[in-house]
Amino acid sequence: MKRNIVGLVIVLFVSTLMLVACGSGDKGPAELAVKAAEEAFNASKGEAAKYVPDEVKSMEGALAAMKDKLAKGEYKAVITEAQAFTEKAKGLPDAAKAKKEELTKSWTDLSQGVPKMVEAVQSRVDMLSKSKKLPANLTAEKFADAKSGLASAKEEWAKALESFKAGNIADAVSVGKSVKEKAVAAMETLGMQVPAGAT
Amino acid sequence: MADDEVKESGGSDQYDATQYHEVVKGDTLWKIAEHYYGDGSLYTNIFEANKDILKDPNMIKIGQKLRIP
Repeated sequence: MKRNIVGLVIVLFVSTLMLVACGSGDKGPAELAVKAAEEAFNASKGEAAKYVPDEVKSMEGALAAMKDKLAKGEYKAVITEAQAFTEKAKGLPDAAKAKKEELTKSWTDLSQGVPKMVEAVQSRVDMLSKSKKLPANLTAEKFADAKSGLASAKEEWAKALESFKAGNIADAVSVGKSVKEKAVAAMETLGMQVPAGAT
Repeated sequence: MADDEVKESGGSDQYDATQYHEVVKGDTLWKIAEHYYGDGSLYTNIFEANKDILKDPNMIKIGQKLRIP
């Protein structure tokens, strides 16, 4: 009986040693994998941070979580995750490039359309301001709304242009879209036809 | 002068925000100005904006596309 207990203890001790040995064996590769993943991420996040910031932020979180697991000794999981992370990091420049192209196209459309719309609204507002009486479908309140929408659209458009000149296309597009919406609203309020490209 | 229906249409460029009015039977510049501005006396502005196609404010033709400032 005593011999059996001693045997069991020895078996358990050896098994534990083997498990520790196997785990420790993964430590080096896990550290290398995290290092490679971090290097791949750092190499590709430059432009990506500008064009796909949410993706970069999520990957920063994933990298921190991976490091945390490494510190806790979860080497096998770290190795698996680091490989997937590295592949994702390598794909970031393509994602950034695609987003940049999409934003550039959006900005081109906006910069062609918005100034024409704002100019048309300004022209109609100028005419209506000269009128002794507003048209049947336009109340003084609606006209005031359109004028305030126009003023705000002009102000925001100037900001969109500044953002674009500063190289911040994402902001320029975001503000430009808001200007377009304001211009469309003003045109509709004034009973004007909205260009097909703006709808 | 032509039919009372008022037609509006945009230009061919999809971002062209120029406002047009297609002249129909019964239209006069005064009536068009009244429709768009609420004030017929502003017809001269429409005439000025269309001087390339109008020689006389009293002579507009059915089907003409007038720019409405």
